[in-house]
Amino acid sequence: MKGQKNKDRLATVMMLILFIILAILIIIPIYTIFLASFKPGGDLLQYGLNLKIDFSRMSFDNYVLLFAGKHEYWRWFFNSIILTVITVVLTLIISAFVGYGFAAYDFKGKNVLFIVVLIILSIPLEVVMLPLYKQMSTWKLMDSYVAVVLPFLAHASTIFFFRQYLLGLPKSLIEAGRIDGATEYGIFVRLIIPIMKPAFAAMAILNGMNAWNNYLWPLLVIRSSDKYTLTLGLNTLINPYGDNYSLLVVGSFFSIIPIFILFVCFQQYFIEGMTAGAVKE
Amino acid sequence: MKSKKNILYSQKIAPYVFVFPFVITVLLFWIFPIINGVLLSFQDVLKDEWVALDNYKRLLSDKIFLKAVYNSTKYMIGTLILLIPFPMFFASLLNSKLMKKPGLFKSIYFIPALTSVVVAGTIFRLMFGEMETSLANQVIGIFGFGPIKWLKKEWTGYFALLLIACWRWTGVNILYFLAGIQSISTDIYEASAIDGASKWQQFTKITFPLVKPTTVYVLTISIYAGLSMFTESYMLWKGNNSPQNIGLTIVGYLYRQGIERRAMGYACAVGLILLIIVMIVNLIQLKVTGTFDKEER
Amino acid sequence: MKKKLLTALLCVAMAAFSLVGCGSDGGDDSSSGGSKGPGSAGTNSMEVEGDATEIQVWTFIELHQQFYTDMAEKWNEENPDKKVKLVLSNMSYDDMHNKLSLALESGEGAPDVVDIELGKFPAFMTGKIGLKDLTSAISPYKDKVIESRLSIYGKDGAYYGFPTHVGATVAFYNTEELEKADVDYTAIKTWDDFKEAGVKYNKATGKYFACVETTAQWMINLMLTQKGGDYLDESGNINITNDTMVEVLEYIKGLQDTGAFAPVPGGQPDNEEAYPSYNNGDYAVQIMPFWQTSRFTSYMTDLSGKVAIAPTPVWKEGDAIKSIGGGGTGTAVVESSENADLAAEVFAYIKLSEEANKEVWNVLGFDPVNTEVWTDKDLTENPDNQFVKFFNTKPFDTLLEIQDGIYALESLTSEKFPSINNEFCNVTLNNIFEEGMDVKEALQQSEDTLKNEFGE
Repeated sequence: MKGQKNKDRLATVMMLILFIILAILIIIPIYTIFLASFKPGGDLLQYGLNLKIDFSRMSFDNYVLLFAGKHEYWRWFFNSIILTVITVVLTLIISAFVGYGFAAYDFKGKNVLFIVVLIILSIPLEVVMLPLYKQMSTWKLMDSYVAVVLPFLAHASTIFFFRQYLLGLPKSLIEAGRIDGATEYGIFVRLIIPIMKPAFAAMAILNGMNAWNNYLWPLLVIRSSDKYTLTLGLNTLINPYGDNYSLLVVGSFFSIIPIFILFVCFQQYFIEGMTAGAVKE
Repeated sequence: MKSKKNILYSQKIAPYVFVFPFVITVLLFWIFPIINGVLLSFQDVLKDEWVALDNYKRLLSDKIFLKAVYNSTKYMIGTLILLIPFPMFFASLLNSKLMKKPGLFKSIYFIPALTSVVVAGTIFRLMFGEMETSLANQVIGIFGFGPIKWLKKEWTGYFALLLIACWRWTGVNILYFLAGIQSISTDIYEASAIDGASKWQQFTKITFPLVKPTTVYVLTISIYAGLSMFTESYMLWKGNNSPQNIGLTIVGYLYRQGIERRAMGYACAVGLILLIIVMIVNLIQLKVTGTFDKEER
Repeated sequence: MKKKLLTALLCVAMAAFSLVGCGSDGGDDSSSGGSKGPGSAGTNSMEVEGDATEIQVWTFIELHQQFYTDMAEKWNEENPDKKVKLVLSNMSYDDMHNKLSLALESGEGAPDVVDIELGKFPAFMTGKIGLKDLTSAISPYKDKVIESRLSIYGKDGAYYGFPTHVGATVAFYNTEELEKADVDYTAIKTWDDFKEAGVKYNKATGKYFACVETTAQWMINLMLTQKGGDYLDESGNINITNDTMVEVLEYIKGLQDTGAFAPVPGGQPDNEEAYPSYNNGDYAVQIMPFWQTSRFTSYMTDLSGKVAIAPTPVWKEGDAIKSIGGGGTGTAVVESSENADLAAEVFAYIKLSEEANKEVWNVLGFDPVNTEVWTDKDLTENPDNQFVKFFNTKPFDTLLEIQDGIYALESLTSEKFPSINNEFCNVTLNNIFEEGMDVKEALQQSEDTLKNEFGE
């Protein structure tokens, strides 16, 4: 019995070592950009990113530039936040609505439709990107956030997840709602939404990540620089014709922070929600 | 009043109302564009002519396109090898009772996924700079190797791309698998422990088969993401051009032809080939993993 | 409890952000950037008193915004009845050109005026041309401007872009480094001299003399044109396996084999990764168009007072072709723009008038297309000018010396050139100078690729 305990302790230590090494590897890139945010932008081009700490070359200049300089960083930042919030809220509501439909009812065509969900889940958006782009242009939706958000509101993988989550739902809850005289939609709003919290948290994080980091599609449909999101804006700083690296580095580092806060806040629900909605047979 | 009430209470109509947003999305933003894409792929859009199968014929003899297909496939295979077994293994370790502070590690591993590809690509581009002082060259310098032009050679460039993928997605996949593992009843493990199964046997005999639905899901989205990768390469090579097209992907080629060269029709043909490739790979995958048989039953 | 509080705070903050955002979203777009100084990324808008026609301008070089604004103010002073208000958006090079082509394609969202880079220009000359014919707007200035720089933005006798500069290819020598190795740059007349000097320099210092280009063709195009070669044959078909091309690339390969020449980080001198290498003195010489001056003053500041500008080498002393125009930006007017006529008139003034050409030198440090100003010594040798101060030779002495020998590469205006350029910068040159592939083999391979693309 004692031998077992020692063995367990050894296993714990080994695992900790493994995971700490992994954690260090994962942190290094973030740490290099954190260090670089204190170095002059030109150094990046000359020396690349590295772990060198040279206090004589480090300063808060880039942060001064970020907070007091003349640039559109904060505008991009707000744009990204707006777009992310809108996308997440609408996607969650609509996808939950649809997911509930799949989970709670039996109806003609359900299987076919659900197979469509699965197929779409596995098709990259890029396949339809160009025709979709043309379509947006004919519908005069170019250069608007509507074009960025609209095509993806009923989001296949989110619907799939919610459906999985709700499959475990006791039908008696719905029946109870019906007996109480609630409408079918009232049941969804009053009874189902409240119990979906963990699922919402999980999907809020995943969809929030995607929206915050979305690049290619907004690149195509957004034209005016005052509508740029953070990813589009940061990319304009990588420009052979300007020396924008100081802002790029500090701006890149800073762009991780809001989504990280979001993650930390919802993290606990996130794991819970993921587990509850885990893919089941 | 009565009839309105009926509609709201009707269990026949309700499901259709619930799935309506999805149906309309699919029609407007998937089916319609795909049909359009098919039509466009038989045209030369700049000249506004129908060209029958010319675009497809050209594609098959287009070495750059074939290179792009090769690159995307190679990338996808690399990510499948690295991003499924390892995260699964790590997840099962993290789930172990012997593990201390799993929550902390989960959060740390998730951070990279929160950084945008634009930022990640830029970080890695600068870490893999060709100067002696870049991180990658410093690391190999420790082992006595001279500086390498990482992003100019096929395999070192591929390495950098895979590293970005691993860096960003290991944490996410760990969470997927962790969720899958946690939904396995602990009784099974306890029973097997009583039967004297080792941890490794538990992993191969219980965890591995029982997380299969999760594996299939992760496999599906990895195939999807691997074959449609674009932004990583776009950021790593600071644009859509890389030496000898080592970073060119199918979507990169679609972008080059459709947007940069304005050959919309040709680009739509590229898109449809991508669709076909994804479908075929996924069909094979579902067949091999046996997911189909279950659906049919 | 703490966590809940934090979550609530975050939600409130986000909601507040989105409200603020929505509020400003509905506002006047042009006013949002008004207070910002020039030179920052994004949108800048001019402030004009009284009635003025608003003109949307897209650029991909921030410096141009300042220049256009200054010149537009002069225009407004001289033409109070035709005032304009420029609204300038700066974007990254690729994005701007891609967005432009998409906008012209869809007939929606295009600006009034746009800077188009020379290499991208032919792409806008295919199919239905969405740009305005500027021939009549150019006519008042035509005889003062170097013709070859107008025709590169032209098709079938019509002109579609206002040139910015001549971009005459010259040599920039780091005299401080060269003196250490006892190399006299004024004695370098031919490419063989150049090679010899390189070897001597490399022996003395162990450093590289000049770069072998892998991502651009400044020196290659110069050498090729000097030898009478090109990328296309007379009937416009791709022919990059021609003898002249092989000779030129093999000559450069010979340079590389001496060990004194090597690809610079970034693959060419006008690259952000390359600037530090020159700034440090790791490489001593650049064969570049004249506009590289502005890169020196912006990104290679340690070299102030150490760089001489001289004519480039030739194959044989006395050769007629001493230089070629390299790079450039054609400012075009979008045909469908409501204010196309006014925009054309204003930008002809902004880019081609004598006044403007003086500013091209003063502000941008480029060689003006209006050669009348080249001989204006008050301008070109003004001791307060930052470029005059930077270089230790008189920049315009070199220009005047080669003035009659500035030619252009023929195929530069071909619709095929962007693709050829792309293949060379990504594949061909890389194969030869990084992978050590045989010149003929590499050229043959690329020719096959290009033939497939052009359907030849």
